[in-house]
Amino acid sequence: MSFVLSLLILVPLVGAPVSYLAIRVNKRFGMLLTLAISAVAFAIASYSFWFLSANLPAPGQYVMSEKYIWINLSFISLDYLLGLDGLSAPLVVVSTLLVLLAIIGSRSQIGHHEAEYYALILLFEGSIVGVFTSLNLIFFYIFWELVLIPMFFLIGIWGGPRRKYAALKFILFTYGGSTIMLLGFLAVYLGTSVPTFDIPDLAGKIPPGLQYLPLLATFIGFGVKLPIVPFHTWLPDAHVEAPAPVSVLLAGVLLKMGGYGFIRISLGLFPQASIQYAWAFMLVGVVTMFYGAIVATLAKDLKRMIALTSINHMGFVLLGAYSTASSGSPLGVQGAIFQMFNHALAIGSLFMLSGYIHEQAGTREIPLLKGLRISMPRTATLLMLSSLAAMGFPIYSSFVSEFMVIAASISAYSPYAVTVLVPALTGAYFMWMLRRTVLSAPTGSVVVKDSSRLDSAALFAYLVPLFILLIFPYVILDPAAPVSQYILHLRGG
Amino acid sequence: MDLIFAAVVVLSASSLGIPLFQVAAKKEKRWISGYVLVVALLSALAIVAFNSVAPQSDPAFKNLLISDSLGNFFAIVTVSVALFVAVASLEAIRKSDNAPIYYGLLSFTALGMLLLSFTQDLLMLFVSWELMSLPTYVLAGFDKKRVQSNEASVKYAILGAMSSAILLYAISLTYGLTGTTQIIPAVRAIAAQPFSLATSIAILLFVAGFGFKMSIVPFHMWIPDAYEGAPTTVSTLLAAATKKAGFVAAIRVLLAVTTVYVITQNPIFTMANILAVLALLTMTLGNAAALTQRSMTRLLAYSSIAQAGYILVGFVAYAYGLQTNAYSQQTNAYFIEATIGMTGALFHILNHAIMKGAAFLVAALVLLELKRGDVQAYNGLGRRMPLAAFTMTVAFLALAGVPPLNGFWSKLLLFLSVINGPFAWLAVAGIVNSAFSLGYYAWVIKRIYIDESESNEKIKEPIPFIVVFGVAVGLMIGLGLFPQQVINFASSAVPNIFPR
Repeated sequence: MSFVLSLLILVPLVGAPVSYLAIRVNKRFGMLLTLAISAVAFAIASYSFWFLSANLPAPGQYVMSEKYIWINLSFISLDYLLGLDGLSAPLVVVSTLLVLLAIIGSRSQIGHHEAEYYALILLFEGSIVGVFTSLNLIFFYIFWELVLIPMFFLIGIWGGPRRKYAALKFILFTYGGSTIMLLGFLAVYLGTSVPTFDIPDLAGKIPPGLQYLPLLATFIGFGVKLPIVPFHTWLPDAHVEAPAPVSVLLAGVLLKMGGYGFIRISLGLFPQASIQYAWAFMLVGVVTMFYGAIVATLAKDLKRMIALTSINHMGFVLLGAYSTASSGSPLGVQGAIFQMFNHALAIGSLFMLSGYIHEQAGTREIPLLKGLRISMPRTATLLMLSSLAAMGFPIYSSFVSEFMVIAASISAYSPYAVTVLVPALTGAYFMWMLRRTVLSAPTGSVVVKDSSRLDSAALFAYLVPLFILLIFPYVILDPAAPVSQYILHLRGG
Repeated sequence: MDLIFAAVVVLSASSLGIPLFQVAAKKEKRWISGYVLVVALLSALAIVAFNSVAPQSDPAFKNLLISDSLGNFFAIVTVSVALFVAVASLEAIRKSDNAPIYYGLLSFTALGMLLLSFTQDLLMLFVSWELMSLPTYVLAGFDKKRVQSNEASVKYAILGAMSSAILLYAISLTYGLTGTTQIIPAVRAIAAQPFSLATSIAILLFVAGFGFKMSIVPFHMWIPDAYEGAPTTVSTLLAAATKKAGFVAAIRVLLAVTTVYVITQNPIFTMANILAVLALLTMTLGNAAALTQRSMTRLLAYSSIAQAGYILVGFVAYAYGLQTNAYSQQTNAYFIEATIGMTGALFHILNHAIMKGAAFLVAALVLLELKRGDVQAYNGLGRRMPLAAFTMTVAFLALAGVPPLNGFWSKLLLFLSVINGPFAWLAVAGIVNSAFSLGYYAWVIKRIYIDESESNEKIKEPIPFIVVFGVAVGLMIGLGLFPQQVINFASSAVPNIFPR
């Protein structure tokens, strides 16, 4: 039995108290140690991704599975069950990468209570890896909730002026959504012939009649996280108030939990009900995409604009996933997985940049930021490059994933061709933002410092994979193919 | 060797012996009485724990007490809480001249709860009920110079006396109807009877009498005033221990009787339906009221009411399981939902004792050190009293049912037990209530760690409290990570409720 995934969860979880103590003793050494811990986690994640690519499992199978019995009584049994497939592996890699980059970026952004801060970041990392790798519903739920606790404190303690409100709103929304999701999990336990919470054993065995209410319950739980339109109001507050590196983790990693849940659980466990209501999910996805794009256009605060772009981009994930359920085109799920990976990197660099700009220029108001190309040339260049990534410009892989999702949605129902307007809108408001901030004439003689070379290099690291993946998209798409096929198999096609 | 009798002897000796310190010891030596009680409670706990590992079949008073898993379970819960309270009191009432009286009364309460856990006779039940309750009336008024404490004591005593009277009336009716005071034979006799008004009245009187202690809406009115007014260590005892004794009495008497008996001729009034409505009212009202509180002890009191509502969900599952005659003679096993629900209820009773006990003791310490009981006093507590603040945070997260803490597992079992039947709405209500309750729990946690306090001066946390906090946090996290043994222990008590 493999132990790599357990190790991947335990390294950050055990690392959290270790780095807390180390920073209390010696700040510099402790922060380097934190960096080392997250680098080790990233290395293990990369190894497991490589292992998966080398040993692609059949649809519905997982590699590096680990199973231990946790609770085994006559009336309830629970397993510690981990596994990796083409859906979870890209998310695990990108999560650990973003944590590593966020830790590098925190150096200049976080000025007090460093020990607690870095310990909470590592706690978050361990929990998020647990979410993406656990294959037992209750085990999954435990990590799912565990993610909230460090996030609540990270927003509440190190956030901006309205941080208290944002932290409370964040935890109430997401906890409310996830408890309802738990009801859906509980409902399937006694409904199948052999009571179990293991996802591989449940897939395809839940009677169709029992799928509708759990589907609704999980829709609410994952929908709050993704977020979809009626449940999105926590997102702008949380993302704007959180410090920049935490916003990176919120948008880059936490939102992916929703997309992951939709594909792994909503589609994977309730396929019949999903197909029947795929139109509703797709409609919600399209509404979310347009809503996010329109409100982002109107946003005056740079960070708020970036936060709202996430809503727009995560709509693609929902649309793609359910396009596959509806049309049988494998592009949808593959595109959704790819989109999650790309969005994480693009949005990560944008949030870090907004943090630097705010720190140096003293404001994030787009109309007040003038002539960044003169005052902060490195930052301005990176802002342009990252904006292109978020727009889905065809020098980055985000173009491929958005293209795949739109193609899949058209094959489901041709009027969804209207979704091509979303990248156009996104492009428009990013261009407008760049014109106002980067390309405008500088005002006054405010002396601002550019971001340092190290920070610029770290920011560039967000964009390199996107560029490489445009040329080699199969690195992500090949492992994702069996996931897509499995959804099609469950769908009965 | 009769172990239960040994435990009773130990606690009787400490109950009678400790007050002697008041007359025999000098003022500055009276603190010793607290340590005597701690030792007595520890030995009683050890005896009961041994009894649950190697059960002794028949206690000395064979017709009055029964040595079963259910009794062991409740005895461990209640005596442990009494022990926690005694340890914390070592600091909390260190300066009091009347310490031996306090510890003596605490010891009597512990004895009452021990006897109540193992009782199998209605008269014994009443005697131990009173033995448990009477000292707490005095304890609630222990701060005799504080008006609120006196008010709490009087209010609690009057309502307590009323509930005892109601209970006694129910017992006498049961005796009249069945001709026995033995619980199990009485239950069988009642179950065999057709509908009669007297039986229904007896059952409803039992609900009212026990409901008073269990803090079930609409018998909850005394709770916030008593918990707020009483010395907070005593409130801990009321919320985490005597309340649980109310549950064991209800489980032993009510659940078995009433699940097979329809209260009126209208079949809608089954016990499961009545309990379900009570559960819904109790959890909703408790949470809604807790959200608006400005005093920490009142907030905890309402949260305690809400938790009683969750526990009732398990009772509903059990009652419904028995009502549908789901006991299978072939496999000698209960309907799986009934087992899950009752196990969840028992586990939640244990968890609630730990979580609420820890939260109340933090409140007691804050009141002791800061002389303030409003929630504002908790602003910035994370920097001033780090251990107390951490304990409060863990306890609140556990109360809200956040995994991987102990409260999560019991709620999981409770809601799992009703989700697939006609009471699915109760699971939805419970989950929504849980999510809602985080509103005030997270609000306090925000105050503790995020809000600024008026002063940043560090406050020394006394050793007895640190010990209790450490044990409580260890239990909350430990039972959260490895719940199997305790769930198993709780489930082994389920068949004792209505032995075949």
